[in-house]
Amino acid sequence: MTILDVRGISKRFGGLQALSDVTFSVGEGQIVGLIGPNGAGKTTFFSTLVGLIKPDRGSVALEGRPIVGLKPHRVAAYGMTKTFQNVALFGDSTVLDNVLTAGLLRHDVAAARHEARRCLDRVGLLAIAGKQADTLSFPERARVELARALCTGPKVLLLDEVMAALNPVEMREIMELIRSLRDDGITLLVVEHHMRAIMAVCDRILVLNFGKLLADGTPKEIASHPEVIEAYLGQSMEKHR
Amino acid sequence: MTRWMIGLGALAAALLLPLSLDPQGYWIRVLTFTFLFAAMAQAWNIVGGLANQTSLGHAAFFGIGAYTSTVLLIKFGISPWIGMIAAAGLGAVAAFAIAIPTMRLQGHYFALATLAFGEVLRVVANVWTSVTGGASGISVPFSPPSVANYSFKLLRPHAYIALAALVIVTIIFEAIRRSAMGYRLRAIKENPAAAEVIGIDTTKVKLQAAIISGMLMAMLGTLYAQVAVFFDPDTVFSAGSVSIRVALIAILGGIGTPAGPILGAFFIIPLEELMNDWFSASAAGLSQLTFGLILIVVILWRPRGFVTLFKSLSARPGGAPA
Repeated sequence: MTILDVRGISKRFGGLQALSDVTFSVGEGQIVGLIGPNGAGKTTFFSTLVGLIKPDRGSVALEGRPIVGLKPHRVAAYGMTKTFQNVALFGDSTVLDNVLTAGLLRHDVAAARHEARRCLDRVGLLAIAGKQADTLSFPERARVELARALCTGPKVLLLDEVMAALNPVEMREIMELIRSLRDDGITLLVVEHHMRAIMAVCDRILVLNFGKLLADGTPKEIASHPEVIEAYLGQSMEKHR
Repeated sequence: MTRWMIGLGALAAALLLPLSLDPQGYWIRVLTFTFLFAAMAQAWNIVGGLANQTSLGHAAFFGIGAYTSTVLLIKFGISPWIGMIAAAGLGAVAAFAIAIPTMRLQGHYFALATLAFGEVLRVVANVWTSVTGGASGISVPFSPPSVANYSFKLLRPHAYIALAALVIVTIIFEAIRRSAMGYRLRAIKENPAAAEVIGIDTTKVKLQAAIISGMLMAMLGTLYAQVAVFFDPDTVFSAGSVSIRVALIAILGGIGTPAGPILGAFFIIPLEELMNDWFSASAAGLSQLTFGLILIVVILWRPRGFVTLFKSLSARPGGAPA
């Protein structure tokens, strides 16, 4: 069943065509990777999906409901949220309070606290729940971002480089977490630069280049797609696997 | 638990303090204004502290409150207690009207825009003589002393009413801080975009906070009118001695904390009075200069406010287990 349907999304910033005519749909419970060179429009695209940026043209439907033009908090209430690539935690608050705040979307304070602890446990950060957010290391903060997004109770979760700066062990943990979220019925869109990780975890990969959808296929298809190799990698994918 | 002990101790001291002062004297007046300004700074703290929107226009609501009850009393003989409720209504309307255009502004731009609103109301009150009496000011007419008339022979009841107002506003502030709204306001303060993305209706929450804050400020304006008995537009709509002073009290004490405005008010208001007392005879200008110097030293010494002197009083977001 289609959960997210994107039709002809275009966005222009001055002289830059950031997104042009992006069209695809995602089935429920898929893990979809979104890759592309720096500046390809991945983060802009995520921001457009959640309502932070209004597209010039095109439509987005979440579970059949049109969401273009809705404010981000409405989109979150409908069940789609994202993490921030450059990490946007509430730095003065504790880790627990960061996550708890997201839980307030669907719970009162006490229930949100309980839910927040559950989400922190899931990303393996329950032990540092009482720490102030801006004292954490970057990988920890990225995980708090993930827990916070999770605590909104999403149906579709957009992860913008949550694996950046992780060591191989931590990366494996996050990949397992992503799979387990999918097993819980959450649909995931994942932007990631680490090829091996994205090839391993995704059912399907979309390639953006200069704001255009260049390719759409299974990891295997993408890895051998000549245009992708030329645009994005400039060399054979085989070396990265 | 120690926080509760300190709070109860301070309250007991505050209850005893008016009894120990000459009921007709100068210092009970200073104490009454200290309570009142602490309450005003606490009302400001809802917007200025929790959402970190530094309003420099809260005199707008304060002046509206002072004039609303006084004009209702003069023209219709309505008790200031009822007038205070009307003041709350008008304060809420004004807060809504000011919040709509300024809400999207941040930092200095928000501060300047709110400052301008306060000044506009000051000018309006000066020229709208048929209602406000204009620049020559307005007197609260004498009513036979009684609680129902909000009229007293001595200052002592006023001191207790101001104290009660401070306690109520502080409870409201603390209830907001610990509630879902408090978490949402802190999220907006830290990162508005992230707050929206995780499901917070930032516009609505900011609007709610602004209305509650403006409403309380207007009600405190009524209290002020009853204590001051005479006032003019330049006093109650003053940018310097209301808007900025209230912000200063909260900032000096520690914004976003329930104890901050109280500590700030108990520092600033008596200090100002002492300065005036000491220097007025010898060199009038010196009091302002010394006051300014003390403020600079204090803000450099404790940039996050006096609350940082007492770790247990400082902002630990509501109920988070340590």
